[in-house]
Amino acid sequence: MTIRNVRDHGQRFRPRMACLKKVESVMLEMQDPKTGVKSQPQRLVITTIPHAITGEDIVAWLTNCYSIEAEEAWALGTMLVAFGYIYPLQDHKRLVIKPDASLYRFQTPYFWPAQQWPVEDTDYAIYLAKRNIRKKGILALYEQVQYNSLHKWMNYKWDFIVMQAKEQYRAGKERKKPDRVVFDCQERAYWVVHRPPPGTVSAMDYGLERMVDPNTEEKQTSDFFRRIMIFTQQSIMRPRVKSSVSIGALVKYSVTYNKHDPFLAPCLPSNPWVTDDVTYWFLNMANVGIPTKMRVERWTFSFGELLSDPRGRDDFRLFLKKEFSGENLAFWEACEDLKWGTAATMNDKAQQVYKTFLTRGAPRWINIDGKTMEVTVKGLKHPHRYVLDAAQTHIFMLMKKDSFGRYLKSPVFKDTQKRAICPDQHMFSVPQLEANARKRRPSISPIIVRQLEQEERARMATSGPVDITQYSPALCQNVLPPPGQAAAFSLSTWSSPAKPRPGALPIFSRSRWTSLQSVVSTPVDSEDEVERRRH
Amino acid sequence: MGGTDECKTMLDALNKVTACYRHLVIALGSTSDSQNLREELKKTRKKAQELAVANRNKLTELLKDKTTSKDDRAEYERLWVLFTSSMELLEVDMKRSLEIGQEFPLKVPTRHLIQTGMTGSTTTVAARAMSVQNMKYDADSNIDTADLKELQAEIAQVGQMMEEMEMKVQVAPWAVEAKQEAGAELKSTLSVGNSSVGVISICEEEPKDEIDEGGDNNGMITCIAGFIFVAIVVIAGILGYFVIGG
Repeated sequence: MTIRNVRDHGQRFRPRMACLKKVESVMLEMQDPKTGVKSQPQRLVITTIPHAITGEDIVAWLTNCYSIEAEEAWALGTMLVAFGYIYPLQDHKRLVIKPDASLYRFQTPYFWPAQQWPVEDTDYAIYLAKRNIRKKGILALYEQVQYNSLHKWMNYKWDFIVMQAKEQYRAGKERKKPDRVVFDCQERAYWVVHRPPPGTVSAMDYGLERMVDPNTEEKQTSDFFRRIMIFTQQSIMRPRVKSSVSIGALVKYSVTYNKHDPFLAPCLPSNPWVTDDVTYWFLNMANVGIPTKMRVERWTFSFGELLSDPRGRDDFRLFLKKEFSGENLAFWEACEDLKWGTAATMNDKAQQVYKTFLTRGAPRWINIDGKTMEVTVKGLKHPHRYVLDAAQTHIFMLMKKDSFGRYLKSPVFKDTQKRAICPDQHMFSVPQLEANARKRRPSISPIIVRQLEQEERARMATSGPVDITQYSPALCQNVLPPPGQAAAFSLSTWSSPAKPRPGALPIFSRSRWTSLQSVVSTPVDSEDEVERRRH
Repeated sequence: MGGTDECKTMLDALNKVTACYRHLVIALGSTSDSQNLREELKKTRKKAQELAVANRNKLTELLKDKTTSKDDRAEYERLWVLFTSSMELLEVDMKRSLEIGQEFPLKVPTRHLIQTGMTGSTTTVAARAMSVQNMKYDADSNIDTADLKELQAEIAQVGQMMEEMEMKVQVAPWAVEAKQEAGAELKSTLSVGNSSVGVISICEEEPKDEIDEGGDNNGMITCIAGFIFVAIVVIAGILGYFVIGG
């Protein structure tokens, strides 16, 4: 028994399937004896079954009826077959229309893919049981797998399924021979569409289910008009951009990213979704040593692209290390960590960031202007996820305007660019493609990926990037800590809330906090200092 | 155990009617649609509802009894799950028949029924559902529109019944264990009832798959008998020719 608490009222609607209603009217037009598709009888060994139509007839009819090109008619015909309104009589597993003499037949309205009738697993189980009876126990491999899994999780209904399968089988036998053949073909075609065997492309993928039917006409109540009024009022108030500007931006984006879009240009070596060959993903992993040329080209498009690609970020970090300005990137990464991290660690992280980057005399002090610093420090009194947003944006713009340009001209980048590889395109023959499909394996579990990432981060923390106070004493205004102790405050202090080493504490004598407990009071203290300076 | 046996027979009947109803609804809107089909649907539906009500009463009576043993209770719950699953199928089929019936009215001048290739009648299926030898047709000519209103009312009724059942009877369907194991349908599939002319036909639609055997055991035997008969006639003819010729 399915759970009926959700009052269904036929409200499972699939918005991307709004075309189904339109296809139904096409189907009805095709039935017209005068202007519809011409049908012919199909001759089997003993029986003759009427109402078979050829692929070329369908395509020709569509071309005439809608005054479209033959290619478009062919695509439309394939859509009709893929949705299950017409099914092929030969080669039933390939849901395409062949514009030659191959035969098709119309599907009965019960088996049409209607928007609000979801395909039930109970029905599929009954169908498989019936097929089991007919084939005397020999099912296709994928059917066997499905049968076993359904038997496992629908076990409580299994008696019903067996009973119903037997009854439906017997009821089916009551009809005459040709009708029985047709019925079997219909049912099989229905399930090829909705439970596609391996190797069949399914057209039934759709998005989330909605509670409202997008095809119904909405009743014009006062609520409806109120919503329209609110919508138009808000549209008037919205700030507008000149269309030349926005279209120009779109055009620029399209031109820039044209060759990088796998839908528009072939991705090298080959698109894994098409050829089942995963070389592309291996070449573009996050920690790969030598990136591909396309990837490196994308880094030059904008600074955001560079930072969002982990390999690009590594490269940039290396460059900054050579330039001894790694603290900007480290701060930016710390802010990202705060934004995306768990709520439990947020407080600690915020304080670590403050200690490491923002306070005066911090080991990795970043250069942000006074106003932003004030705002940030004030926000840190009650830290939340986005408390460092202003500072992060400032640092981002700083890096973008300054370091990014220099990075693109630097030897680090030029070296990476030179070493970047450009793989050749794969040319797979059909048997090779089938072999690829058979060799498909699941990729590394995300748990393992996360573990590797954490190990990587820990390793980076222990190796530790350079602390500015060690190398550029002039940058550190107030305190000149001895080099050995400064090195203790490396990345590890913000990446993991570790205990500070006892020897390192005296550095912060100036900041007036002697232990972690007084960390909370520091923002207040610096505010007092600011105030004192004003008087 | 008179209660369970009675229940089982009633459930079997309901199951049979549900299966036949589904076959009839599948034929709706296609070229085997007709006045008769609509009437068959109506009759089958009414029978199904009667059976459903009878089943429900019997099962609720059995389940409400608190003095049943654990095994009995488990058995009654299993029967309850059978009943509710049947009712769900029936409800969905009724709703779909309403939708398709509305889309394909019979009495319009330009009638476009889908040419599915099915041209035979569904009389035998309906006869099986109603457990009669021959179906009698006595409905008015506007059954396709008049019936739809009744159908809507009946759907509402069935929906209400199922909601009531869910509220009143406390049965955990997932706790029921099925008695049949996987592949149980392969046992005892000797068909009863009239199969069609028992000729083995090779379905051309499955060129790579196994040959589609349309007939069952009865058909096999009839075919062999036919061949033997033909062979005997041929031999007799040859002998006769020799006798006359010689």
